[in-house]
Amino acid sequence: MSRASDKTDEPPKWMSFRSLLVSSMLLRFFLIIYGEWQDAHMEVRYTDVDYIVFSDAASLMASGESPYKRTTYRYSPLLALLLVPNSIFHRSWGKFLFSASDLLVGLFIRMILKQRKVSEKVCTVSVMVWLLNPFTFTIGTRGNCEPIVCAMILWIIISLMKGNLSQAAFWYGLVVHFRVYPIIYALPIILVLDSKLFRSGHKPPLEDWTHTSSTEKRTFHLKSLFSRERIMFGLISGGVFLACNAVSFYFYGHEFLHEALLYHLTRTDPRHNFSIYFYHIYLHYERRFSAVEKLISFLPQFTVQLALVFCFSQDLVFTMFLQTVAFVAFNKVITAQYFVWFYCLLPLILPWSRMKMKWEGLLCIVLWIGAQSHWLLWGYMLEFKGLNVFLQLWLASLVFLAANTFVLVKIIQRHRFSPLFGQCVSSDRKNVTKLD
Amino acid sequence: MESSKRGRSVISAIFIFFALSCFNPISTTQVELSDSDTFCVSDHYIMQSYFTTNSSLDESEFRSFLRLQQCSENISNEDVPVVAMLQQRDITGEGSHRHLLTSIKLRSFNSQSQLHEVVIVERLPLGVFADPFELQSLQQRRAFRDVSVFGDTDLEQPSFRSNRSVVEIHVDVSETGEISVKLPLHARYQPIGESGYSRVEFGEPDLFLCSRLVPNEEHEQRRCLVLSIGRSKTETSSVVWEIPAGIRSHTEYVSVITFVAAVLSALSILVASVLSSKVESCKNTKQS
Repeated sequence: MSRASDKTDEPPKWMSFRSLLVSSMLLRFFLIIYGEWQDAHMEVRYTDVDYIVFSDAASLMASGESPYKRTTYRYSPLLALLLVPNSIFHRSWGKFLFSASDLLVGLFIRMILKQRKVSEKVCTVSVMVWLLNPFTFTIGTRGNCEPIVCAMILWIIISLMKGNLSQAAFWYGLVVHFRVYPIIYALPIILVLDSKLFRSGHKPPLEDWTHTSSTEKRTFHLKSLFSRERIMFGLISGGVFLACNAVSFYFYGHEFLHEALLYHLTRTDPRHNFSIYFYHIYLHYERRFSAVEKLISFLPQFTVQLALVFCFSQDLVFTMFLQTVAFVAFNKVITAQYFVWFYCLLPLILPWSRMKMKWEGLLCIVLWIGAQSHWLLWGYMLEFKGLNVFLQLWLASLVFLAANTFVLVKIIQRHRFSPLFGQCVSSDRKNVTKLD
Repeated sequence: MESSKRGRSVISAIFIFFALSCFNPISTTQVELSDSDTFCVSDHYIMQSYFTTNSSLDESEFRSFLRLQQCSENISNEDVPVVAMLQQRDITGEGSHRHLLTSIKLRSFNSQSQLHEVVIVERLPLGVFADPFELQSLQQRRAFRDVSVFGDTDLEQPSFRSNRSVVEIHVDVSETGEISVKLPLHARYQPIGESGYSRVEFGEPDLFLCSRLVPNEEHEQRRCLVLSIGRSKTETSSVVWEIPAGIRSHTEYVSVITFVAAVLSALSILVASVLSSKVESCKNTKQS
């Protein structure tokens, strides 16, 4: 996304954000209606199995029972609560809610990019990467709840950019209760709340897109780790997280703890999935793994997360994106819905990428999708043709990890480092005023 | 003297042998149920009644249990006993999701009789399972009159961690006395082996011809006639499903290569990050 070529900053009328939003809305509306038709008339359902699980859990909750009576319901009771109108109004209420969150993510992406003074054209193209991504619009319309999580994450970023610390902390505590994975963002968020730049209640200066970064690499002082902002963030988000869990535990007891929290932390699924670990787990399933083995398998994930955070933490959004891709790639279980977690952050880093679509960008896309399709081919042979292709499927998952690594490395190499909170506004390098 | 001693010991041995064979528990026709017997249950599902007092899926326990289910009033049997003929028994489809096809023809079936519902008790072998939610939606689409799964219905456990399950299907008999049932089944992950495939065998289901649940004196009762029971191990060729299973000999090198791959990827990302942030700080020191 080069800035030099933006002679015509105004995109054509048909490409305006408003028309983009309206057409995305219509597309999703149509897909939900179509989904209802397909469910009723065809053997293969459009609706995701998970949506039926949420709906059943919500109707159990509506009749006063525990949503965990529904087998395979492994989410916060909040989700079942949100879907209670499914049994009151219409069973598609949830799909409309998720698709609305999906559109909200598009809106938030635009807000964030505009705050950072990205040009209109680049901004609109970035938003299109989310709104017109086939994976994105099918996931909400099929009834998957990930768009809500993405909307919350982006709102946290917006709150931080506005200087609204307590709001950011509140939503962060809530999102970690909802879905455990955002805990990986705790460290970079804490690190970015540098008291030299971020004062609670004041809008921090934002490093904008037109400004070449000239910030000094900050030396990290242990004393400043316990700044007022950081402690406040930790306390508020921790408090919200514990409060949500306490309320859920009060209503649903141990079932909630086990299904919604512990399951995700200890999940080792031997059934085939994109993860390189699935065959290893399957072959060892008859005997339990020792603590040492579990630790060793966690080590690559842990080191990568730490390395990414300490190298890039000031550029918060970029760090979050890299962390999410790496987290998914090194996880013990990978399902396609996890990809949405980084798809929503991708448009936020594209304006800062020096990668050209021809041919590097295209190569990355082709390799990543190609590796996935290759895996899916072997998965089809195993599941629908009943052939023993476990070895080939496992090799395909290794290829997928290699593709993920390649794309990640390329993105890192082509990224123009840009801290979220920067020096004061001037775009003239000579007149940079430093904050005290 | 010696020959008479030997003769006596032979006779005692024969006597002991006969005495023992009288106590042989295999001949238990007096204790367990067999074809053409009747019994009554007070629940909608036979297995429901069974599981209120028993917990194992053992065949002979089930038959003993049914023998104890006496009917409160004795109704004379039909003149010509109904006989069930298994016409087709097959596994159709490919891959992990298949259908178990069962076709039965009832001979001497009287469509005016009170007994007009066939109950099929399908004992699923270890290694496959039926999805209760899928069966419920099939029931809504009138493929069966009633269906329920008993036993272990955990959809996610692999084979060696789960117990077996039983599916009870109720089907209305057509005018011609024919029944055809297509039960969707799914494969569990099999225990690892040497050959790469796990062999799952299906025997024959237990078949009963039952009446509707009718109020009878103190409680509701359902009268059932046994059509076929205890043939879970067939004498003829059984229906077989070969399910892919992990191969034990892969274990060592899969684990090693998996970890090596993880470490290599992690290292590449680590190196790229460190180099990139070094480049940035070099740029910054050049500019300032």
